Amino acid sequence: MRLHTWMSALLLMTIAGVSGCRKHGEVPKSDPLLAAYDTEADWTDAQHIIPLSYQQAQGKRIFYQQCVWCHADATPAGPSNRSNLTPVPPLLNDGATLNAESDEYIQNIITLGGTAMGKSAMMPPYGRMLSAEEVRSVIAFTRAIAQPQYQPPARAGSQYSAK
Amino acid sequence: MPAEEMGKITSRTRLIFAVLSVVFLVVLAISPFKDFRREWKQYKRSYLRFAQTRPDTKKLLADYRPDIDQIWLPGMNVVDRCTTCHQGITQASLSEKVLPQPFRAHPPIPHNVRDWGCTVCHRGQGPATEVAEAHESTLAWEQPILPIRFIQASCGTCHYADLPQTPQLTRGRELLGELNCQGCHRLPGIERPAMLGPDLTNIGTKVSREWIYKWLKEPRTIVDKDGNVAVNGYETEEEPRMPKFRLTESELRGLSGYLSVQKARAVAPYKIDARVVTAWSKNPELISQGELRFRQMFCSTCHSLAVTRAGETKLIGGDIGPELTKVGSKVNPDWLVTWLRDPQGYLPHTKMPRYGWSDEDLHKVTQYITTKLTDSDLLTGIPQLGQPTEQEIQLGHRLFLEKGCASCHLIDGLNPQKDFGPDLSTIGGKNASDLEFGAARIPHNLVAYIQAKLQDPTSVNPAARMPQYNWNQSDLDAITTALLSMKGPPATSALQNLVVPRKEVAFHPTGSFGEVYERYKCYTCHKFNGYGGDLAPDLTFEGSRAQRQWLVDFLKNPQTLRPTLVLRMPQFNMSDRDAATLADYMTMVLQHPAANPTAVDAKQFTPAMVALGKQLYEVKYQCQSCHTIGGSGGYVGPNLNNAGSWLTPAWVEAWLRNPQALIPDTIEPRRNFTEDEVRALTAYLMTLRQGIKPPKTASAAASRTAAHGVGR
Repeated sequence: MRLHTWMSALLLMTIAGVSGCRKHGEVPKSDPLLAAYDTEADWTDAQHIIPLSYQQAQGKRIFYQQCVWCHADATPAGPSNRSNLTPVPPLLNDGATLNAESDEYIQNIITLGGTAMGKSAMMPPYGRMLSAEEVRSVIAFTRAIAQPQYQPPARAGSQYSAK
Repeated sequence: MPAEEMGKITSRTRLIFAVLSVVFLVVLAISPFKDFRREWKQYKRSYLRFAQTRPDTKKLLADYRPDIDQIWLPGMNVVDRCTTCHQGITQASLSEKVLPQPFRAHPPIPHNVRDWGCTVCHRGQGPATEVAEAHESTLAWEQPILPIRFIQASCGTCHYADLPQTPQLTRGRELLGELNCQGCHRLPGIERPAMLGPDLTNIGTKVSREWIYKWLKEPRTIVDKDGNVAVNGYETEEEPRMPKFRLTESELRGLSGYLSVQKARAVAPYKIDARVVTAWSKNPELISQGELRFRQMFCSTCHSLAVTRAGETKLIGGDIGPELTKVGSKVNPDWLVTWLRDPQGYLPHTKMPRYGWSDEDLHKVTQYITTKLTDSDLLTGIPQLGQPTEQEIQLGHRLFLEKGCASCHLIDGLNPQKDFGPDLSTIGGKNASDLEFGAARIPHNLVAYIQAKLQDPTSVNPAARMPQYNWNQSDLDAITTALLSMKGPPATSALQNLVVPRKEVAFHPTGSFGEVYERYKCYTCHKFNGYGGDLAPDLTFEGSRAQRQWLVDFLKNPQTLRPTLVLRMPQFNMSDRDAATLADYMTMVLQHPAANPTAVDAKQFTPAMVALGKQLYEVKYQCQSCHTIGGSGGYVGPNLNNAGSWLTPAWVEAWLRNPQALIPDTIEPRRNFTEDEVRALTAYLMTLRQGIKPPKTASAAASRTAAHGVGR
């Protein structure tokens, strides 16, 4: 009888010891409130909200300062300048046109301007204004909002992903 | 136990001993097993396995160690073991968002993690080695991870000046300033303007007691039964600067009574010439003429009016001054005349400029305001209050101080309580145990506390004196970010050296320029050396940019340079003398060192240079994509039709060489023009004068047709 008591006490101790191994703390709950800046509404479907990474959000900021005037249909100041240009520049989310271009090509045309790449001189060079990092972030933003969605080339390995 | 059995080893003791030994061995074995199963060791091992699946395994494992990794920065009080689990944080090849955490790379930011650690920005517990303890607050460790949507708060902890990368923080700081939070709270870096709310010393001469009662009850904002927020009955998202105080009926009567007798600084009423009044008395066009003048003077640049078009009501106009849709039913007509004529006589700190009125214009505009901008229902439902009793005035006086009215509104002879609300200069670094959550059902952490307090101050403290604001989610988050950034001065000298102070030096010159400058309140809209409003162009270097004669003509008759702008410079009816004083000062003083007027002589420009410049403008660089000349071109940059009489050649040359050197935030990209090209383009632009249209080229005409064909 006494042995029985001893054994049960030991068993309890063991259980108590082992139970310490259980992971404590619970999984942090995802924040219910909205992210205010790090998203962009899909240009073709305002209900679809695209989450942006830090780099893409930086690209968004630069886009709305520098590029929006000619590469979007609506601008913060009202109507877009796009219809004044010939040839009409592509919208930034125009995946049908831009998805086919490599990151390097877009980097070059932003940095060196349209003339240097055999395109319209209406695209000015931004190489003396934006840093290479800033240009890359604009490309990241372009890839994020592209419609149809941008698929990075399988092998060469784009730095930017659509998701 | 009998004595003879003591010390005897029975088989039963043997059994107990054996079982106990086994049990103790098992218990002992648990300890190394537990150590092996430590959370961070599991992450270490799974990183090893993960790296094997990547093509660049060798690089990923180059500095792998099976121990705890630690970033120790004694100068900044940082002991961060985050990299123990977040092992791929500096590996560029792990930047894809689909990769599993905790191995993903940190996005590229201007700071290197090895120099700064993690908790400086992300908060949480650096020395902890368990996921829960590192990220969440516990009883022993109180700082939880800063939710990523407020991460810009960490930038603001050291960078006091606004950064382009932190729009949310900048917006939050703007809101703190705009909503006059610094009236009651101490907020580092948020400047306290000379006047927060209107000076009420003389409010009794301006509005009726009933109007004050209504305003205190519902400061513009009215929420209807469907929950729509309306201002003066019009739906809008504008947040009035005056928040809603929760006042009882007797408090409303007391405060309105007290304010309605504030007539201390009597204003001499201005009488419009009787001949003007008689001349217009029978003219049916009086009101429409007044409206026309109201528009011509661009009152709408600062004041908005509610306009209903196609069933939709919108506020049209600026927000520097109050909305005026129903102001005719609000203010005393005699007060209005006196105010319009000399606003600074009534409120020395007002942003309203002093216009040069003729009696005729003054009569027309005041008649328009008092007849058309009215609403007979404005005071519906407000009781007739009559003359206040002595008790009501006493109560109002007491409430004015107790409720904190005196923190924003001045009444001569009344001394507001210093530091009325709590000091918020270190709110962003508070621990949960320092905060009073009351009965609020919210998570006990700083972010939840700040947001609950902002949304409904009574939720955490039923006796709160803080008034009620209506926020939308993004403004709420922005202001939370700004508050979280206020952690006080950085604790260590290493960071103190990096603090960038906000630079803003008041620009109030003296002399005859200063007098005219204060009268027209140029700084309400324009910036001078970083001081002033941002509605209109920065004039710090205006003397280098514009020609003197153009400045005089513009000041006398402001016309817009950019056709897309809605808010324009008001018509001040400026005298020749005032215009000349302003233009002379700007030409002499507001000069940029890079634009040397003696280095460029417009007389040297030859027709050949002009022709080359035109060629460069239209063909090689296609400037018409953003600028308009002669009715064709884009409207991103200013219209250049009048560049020859508007801009100085020295400015144009300096601009073409490097636009950002003159205006740092201009969006015109810096080109790589040769000196000859700069000179030729300047020569061409200097030939452009209003009325002289450049001959239309075939290419320009073709591009226009094409643009219209392809565009909408």
